[in-house]
Order: sequence, then structure tokens, then C-alpha cells
Amino acid sequence: MRCPGFLIILFVNLLLMGCSGGPSKDTHHPRTLFVSIAQMKFMPAELHVNSGDTVVWENKDIVDHNVVEETSKEWSSGVISKGQAWKMAVTKNAVYFCSIHPAMKGKLVVE
Amino acid sequence: MSSSENLKKIILMGLLSTSVSIMVLGQAAPKLADDEIASVAVVANQSDIDFAKIAKQKSKDQEVLKFAETMAKDHQSVIDQAVALVTKLKVTPKDNDLSRKLTADATATKKKLQAASASSFNKTYIDNEVGYHKAVIAAVEGVLIPQASNPELKQLLENVVPTLKTHLEHAEMIQKTFASK
Repeated sequence: MRCPGFLIILFVNLLLMGCSGGPSKDTHHPRTLFVSIAQMKFMPAELHVNSGDTVVWENKDIVDHNVVEETSKEWSSGVISKGQAWKMAVTKNAVYFCSIHPAMKGKLVVE
Repeated sequence: MSSSENLKKIILMGLLSTSVSIMVLGQAAPKLADDEIASVAVVANQSDIDFAKIAKQKSKDQEVLKFAETMAKDHQSVIDQAVALVTKLKVTPKDNDLSRKLTADATATKKKLQAASASSFNKTYIDNEVGYHKAVIAAVEGVLIPQASNPELKQLLENVVPTLKTHLEHAEMIQKTFASK
């Protein structure tokens, strides 16, 4: 009899779909988003991300910069030289600034 | 702050704004060729590097030292780009009345900074940085950019303005902390 085999496969498939939340549910793939540093500004100054997304800061300016979490200095890029970039996976909201040029500020908002 | 310090500050700001007015406004604004503009740009940046060197020798304030380091690096970066551009354009920076005036003013400023006492140095340096960046921004926006004829030179000058404005904002932030002490 072939019927029981078919039913077993169907059952296993349904079980797997149940475990993974089903095909209709959105499976979030981390994205890579870019912040351009140019004309002494972070662009965009406020970036909305999903938790786990990677943000790449690209220094397109005429001088060196860095990126430092402002409130508790939780993370810091080190110097990002002209023409260089630095990236980080983002998991929580942050207000950041360039400690070399403290007037430059940016914000990450986790949706 | 004593009344004599206040008076000095008022006189200093008056002199700076007068010098900016002479450079920028009216018929006194000089007519400059690209090689002369290149010279003014290099002298203006080199002067601030020289002020920063004095600050690094004389100051012990971490914020002032950090600011001076940024001035030295950023203005050197601008000079490097200006030199690369004039080399590419086969232009030799040419001395002129404005670059000579900037050099003379910078010499006087360096003397004043060297003479400042340990207790007054930080304020003297930062007050000068605020005035100097205001004057240079006015000169770049009011004289150098409008008169530059080569588009790449004009573009470089335009790119420098946000850097100068951010330096000014940074200097003013430090100046405020001195005022509140």
C-alpha cells in the first residue's frame, strides 16, 4: 500500500511548516544599509533598521571621521579614514556622533 | 571675567569683524586669479595648523588638545588636496595682498598665543579659533568661491566650507564650557 507512505510525508511536511511558523509568515533576512559621511554630515541623519541589520558608514568626506555611541560610549568605530568604511550589526536604538567633530550627530532607530 | 578682559574681547572681535569686512565687502575686496586663490587657501590652512601646534605645546586641557589635533589633521588634509589639485592643474600658488595680510595676521596671532599665560591660554586660543574660522568662512564664501574660475578649484573651496563651519561650531562648544566655568 502506498497511501500510508504519502500520509507520513504529508504529516512530516506539515510538522516542519508548523515549526518554522509556516510559509506565509515573513522570514526576516538581515539587510545591509548605508550611511554616507559627506559634507560633515551623516546622511541619512536618522536611519530606521530592523534588529540584526548591518549598517555601513562610508566616509566620502575630505577629512577623517569616526562613529561613537553617544550616551554611554557603548560602541565606537575607531578612525574611519577618507575613502574607508566601517560596519556594525544593529540590535538597539542609538544616538551617535563623530567624536572628532562633536557637532556631527546621527540616530539609529530599530523598528 | 574682568572688565579689562571684556574690553579686550570686544576690541578683538571688532578687529576681526573689521578685517572680514575689509576682505569681503565693498570695493576693498581684492580681485584674485586662481593661482592667488590657491595661495590664500594654503596660507589660511597653514596658519591654523601653526596655531594648533602652539596649543599642543601649551595646553593641558584635554578638550583643547583634542580640538587642536583635529585642526592640525583636517587643515593638513585640505592643504594636501589643494596641493594635489594645483599640481594637476599645473598652477603655482602666487603670493598676493590677501595672502600676505593673512600671513602677517597669523604671525601676530602666534606671538599673542606664545605670550599668553598658562591660565589664560586655553581661552585665548579658543576665542581666536572662533574669530579666525568666522573670518576664513567669510573670505572663502565672499571672495574665494565667487572669484575662482577653475571649476575643480571652486568645487574644492565649496567642499571645505562645511568643514570650516563644523570647526567653528566645535570651537563655540568649547568656548561655552569656558564661559560656564
